[in-house]
Amino acid sequence: MILWVLPDAGDRSKEKYADFIARFKKENPSIDVSVRVFTRNILWRRMFTIKHPTYEEEIPDIIQIPHYWTALLVREGVAANLSELDPGLSLTNCLVPLKNHCYQPGTKDIYSYPWWFDVSALHYRPDHLKLVSSNPAKDLSTWNGLLKICAALREKFKDVPGYYPVQNSDWRGSLSMRHALPCVWGKGADLVSADFKNTSVGTRAFKEGLRAYINLALNDYMPILRERGSLGTMASGKASLILSRKQGSFNARRGVQIRTLPVPTTGTSSQAYLSGMNLFINTLSQEKKNALKFIKFCARPENQIAYASMIDAFPAFEDAFERVAFASPVRLQTYSNILASARTLPNITITGTIMEILKRILALCATQIVAGKFSASFLDKQLDGAAKEIQQLLSIYEG
Amino acid sequence: MLDRKSYTLYKFHKQLNQSFQDKRELLECALPALRNLFKLDRAYFFNWQQDRAMLSLRMMCTKEYCMDKQEDISVVNEPAFLKQLIQYGITETTDLSYPAVYALLKWQRPSMELRGGEVHTFMQDRVGVIRLERFRKGRAFTAQELDLIKALAQEISHNLRNTEIDQAKNQRLNVSTALNDLSTIFASSLRLNDGLELILKGVQKYFRFDRVRLYLTDAYGRRIKSILGVDVSGEVTHEDVPHMGEAEIELLKEVFEPSVTYRSHRTVFYIPLKVQRNKVGFLAFDNILSRRAIGYLDYISLQQFASQMALCIDNTRLFERVQELSNYDELTKLPVRRYFNEKFSEELYRAKRFDLNLSLMIMDIDFFKQINDTYGHQIGDWALQEVSKVVRGCLRQTDVPCRFGGDEMVIMLPRTNGEEAKLIAERLQERITAISLPTRFTEGKEVHLSISQGISSFPQDGTNADELLEKADRALYVVKQNGRGHYAVYREVAAQADQAEKK
Repeated sequence: MILWVLPDAGDRSKEKYADFIARFKKENPSIDVSVRVFTRNILWRRMFTIKHPTYEEEIPDIIQIPHYWTALLVREGVAANLSELDPGLSLTNCLVPLKNHCYQPGTKDIYSYPWWFDVSALHYRPDHLKLVSSNPAKDLSTWNGLLKICAALREKFKDVPGYYPVQNSDWRGSLSMRHALPCVWGKGADLVSADFKNTSVGTRAFKEGLRAYINLALNDYMPILRERGSLGTMASGKASLILSRKQGSFNARRGVQIRTLPVPTTGTSSQAYLSGMNLFINTLSQEKKNALKFIKFCARPENQIAYASMIDAFPAFEDAFERVAFASPVRLQTYSNILASARTLPNITITGTIMEILKRILALCATQIVAGKFSASFLDKQLDGAAKEIQQLLSIYEG
Repeated sequence: MLDRKSYTLYKFHKQLNQSFQDKRELLECALPALRNLFKLDRAYFFNWQQDRAMLSLRMMCTKEYCMDKQEDISVVNEPAFLKQLIQYGITETTDLSYPAVYALLKWQRPSMELRGGEVHTFMQDRVGVIRLERFRKGRAFTAQELDLIKALAQEISHNLRNTEIDQAKNQRLNVSTALNDLSTIFASSLRLNDGLELILKGVQKYFRFDRVRLYLTDAYGRRIKSILGVDVSGEVTHEDVPHMGEAEIELLKEVFEPSVTYRSHRTVFYIPLKVQRNKVGFLAFDNILSRRAIGYLDYISLQQFASQMALCIDNTRLFERVQELSNYDELTKLPVRRYFNEKFSEELYRAKRFDLNLSLMIMDIDFFKQINDTYGHQIGDWALQEVSKVVRGCLRQTDVPCRFGGDEMVIMLPRTNGEEAKLIAERLQERITAISLPTRFTEGKEVHLSISQGISSFPQDGTNADELLEKADRALYVVKQNGRGHYAVYREVAAQADQAEKK
C-alpha cells in the first residue's frame, strides 16, 4: 500500500511517519506500507495527474490532503466514495468545523476522512515582551497593536545582529496566505460569498486586510525569502514573536518560555484559521480494503493522540481532542478562545485554486519587497486581476 | 596508480554510470553519494533562475532520505556571493551559521522552438547549484575537499546533460505515440462527433489538461456554431452556441490573430484550426483550475496535430455535405427515394424480426398540375416547399418522409398500425389545408392547398416493400376517385370493394 503525505513534521516527517506506520504494522503485519512525502505544491500538481497515470508512475492508495481539497477531488472523480466502501463509516464523533469538508458538497457521502488539524496563533517570549509592554495580551489583541510592539522591539533589540521582532514560521521565508487570512477576515472580507457565487478578493476590505499582513515584511519586522536555518529563531533570542500553527512546545522543549495569544485582529474580534488534514482513497487503488483499514486506524483515539503529539497538532475527533485539551489546563485555557473563533475555508471545487492564485500574488509581493520595488498599487492591480479570474472560475465550476 | 582525487572521481563516475529516467532519479543517486563521501548532514539541489535571482529548491537529501521539493526560495541575495560562485564554481557560504558549500552545476538541455511552423531544436544552457551542509558537528570543509567537490559537480553536470537528453527523447517519443494514436482514431472515424469526442478525451488524457474544448466555427471564422468539451471529471459536453455578441467577436479575433505565440506561465491556450484559408474552428485547452503552466512541447505538438485535425474535420464535413446532397432533395429538404428505400428495407426487416407494426402513406398535392399551369412553376415549387415543411414538422423523429417524384411524397411510419396512421393523416390534412397560396399570385382569391393520402400497413396489407407501396397507391387512387382532399386505408377500401362486388 502506498501512502502519499505532506511533510507534517518538516525535515523530520519521514521519521515521524516511520514511527506511526510501525504502530499500524504491529496490528497489521501483512500490510506493507510505503510512504512518499511531497510538498504541498507537488501534491497539488499530482492531484491533477493521478487520474491518468503513465506506465512508469506509481498509483497511490491513500493520500493526505488539506481539508478544502475534498470537493475538487470528488469532482475530478479521483476520490473514492468511502460511504460506499463502508456504509457504517460515520463522522458523528468528528469535530464540527471539520465535518463539512469530508462530504461531497450537497450530499452526505463521505469522500475524505479527517486525520488532524491545527490552528494559527501568536506565540511570544514573555521575557522580551515585558521590556516593551506591561500588558501583552491587550497590546497584541489588534494588528496595529502588533505593529507598534514590533516597532518597540526593533528599537529595543537594535544592537542584536540578525534580530527580527517576528520570526517567519514558513521554512522558505515566504509570505503565507494562512497567516494573511485572519487579517482579511478581520476586515470583513472573504475568499467567496456565502452563496459561493461571488468573490470579494478585489474589494477594498480584502486589499486592506492583505496589506495589513504584508506590512509585517514591508516594515522589516519579519524576514522574508530567507531560509529558516539562515536566521535566528525565538529560541536563540533573535526573534520575540511568531505566527504559527504549532503550539509552541517546540521552543518550550528548549527551555524558552513561550506564551500564546489569538492572532491579532485587523477588525474587532480575532478569527483564527483552522486547517484540517484529511485522508482519501484513490479510485484507482487496488488495495481499497487495506486503505480503509489504515484510515480507521488513524481515527482511533489513541492513534489520533499519538500522531497529533508527534507533529504538534490537534486530533480531529472529539474524544481524542478532549483528552488532549484537558491534559493541560494552560493549553485548554489558551486554545479554547482561539478555537471558539476559528474559521475554515469553504469546501468548494475552486478553493485550492484560489489559494494557489493568492499564494502566487504573495510570492510576487515578497520578491518586490526584497527588491525594494513594492507598492500598494501593485498589490491592488494583482488582486483585481485575481478577482476576475476567480469570478470566471466560480462561473465555470459552481459549487 | 590513481591518486585519491582521481580514484574518488572514478568511483563517483561508476556510481552515476547508469541510465536515469529523469533528473530526479539522478539526483537521488548523486546527492546521497556526496553525503556519504563528505560525511554531510544535508545536501540540496537548486535550479538557478538567473532572471529572478532566485534559487528554486528541487531536492533535499538528509541522512535518512531524499525529499522531492518544488519551492522557490531566495537563499542568495548578495550579488558578491553570486559573482564568486560564477567565477570559481564553488564558494563557502557566509549566510548560514554552520559550514556549507555552494557548488555550481552547468549543463545543456535540449530545447525546441516553433519558427514559421517548423520545429527547431537547440541546446539551452542550464545552471544549478548544490549546497552541502555540515551542521551537526560544524566541521569545516578543507581545501582538498573543496577541490574534489568542484570536480564532482562537473561530473554531475555531465550526467545531468545526458539524462536531460534521454528524458527529452522519451518525452518526444511519448508525445508522438500519443499523437499517432489520436490520428489513428480520427482517421478511422467518419462520424464527426464520435471521432471528436474520442480525440478530445485522448488529448485530455495524454496531455493531462484540466479541460479541452473544440469550438467549431463557420468557414469564415466569424461565428462559433458549437462547442464540444471534456471537463475536469472527464465528462463530455456538447452545446450549440447562440450568438454571443461582442465576447464572441473578441474571442475569435484573439484566436485567429496571426501573431499568437507561446507564452510560458499561461494556463489557457487556443490553437486555430484552418485548412488553407478556410477556418474550421479552434481547440482550447486549459489548466485554469490546477494553475499548471502548459509546457512548450505540449503546445507545439498540439499545434502540429491541429493542422491534421483541421483537415480531418474539413474532410468529414465535406463527406457529410456530399451525403446530405445525395440523400436529400434540394427543393423540399426531404430524403430522396434511394435513401428512403434503404431505410424502408431496414425498418421492414425490424418489423418482421420483432413482430412490429409499420404503416406506409402515399400522398400528393391535389390539382398540383393546375397550380403549376395557372400560377407558374415558381408557385408550384413554393407549394411543394410549404407542404414538405408541414410534413417535416408533423412527424415523429422515427418517421421517414421522402419525395417520391413530382408532387408525390411517401411517409414510412414505424411501429404504427392503420388506425394510428389515420390520426397522422388527419393531422397532416388539417395543417396543409390551412396553407393558402399568396394572394398576389391569385388575383386576391383565397386558394387553399389540399392533399390526398393512401395508407397501407404491415403485416395486414402486405409483407414486402413493393406490395405495401402498391396497396397504399391503390388506396390513394380511391381517394382521388372519390373527390380528393381526404385519406383512405387500403384494408377499408378493399373491404368496401369486396362488399360492392358481392352486392
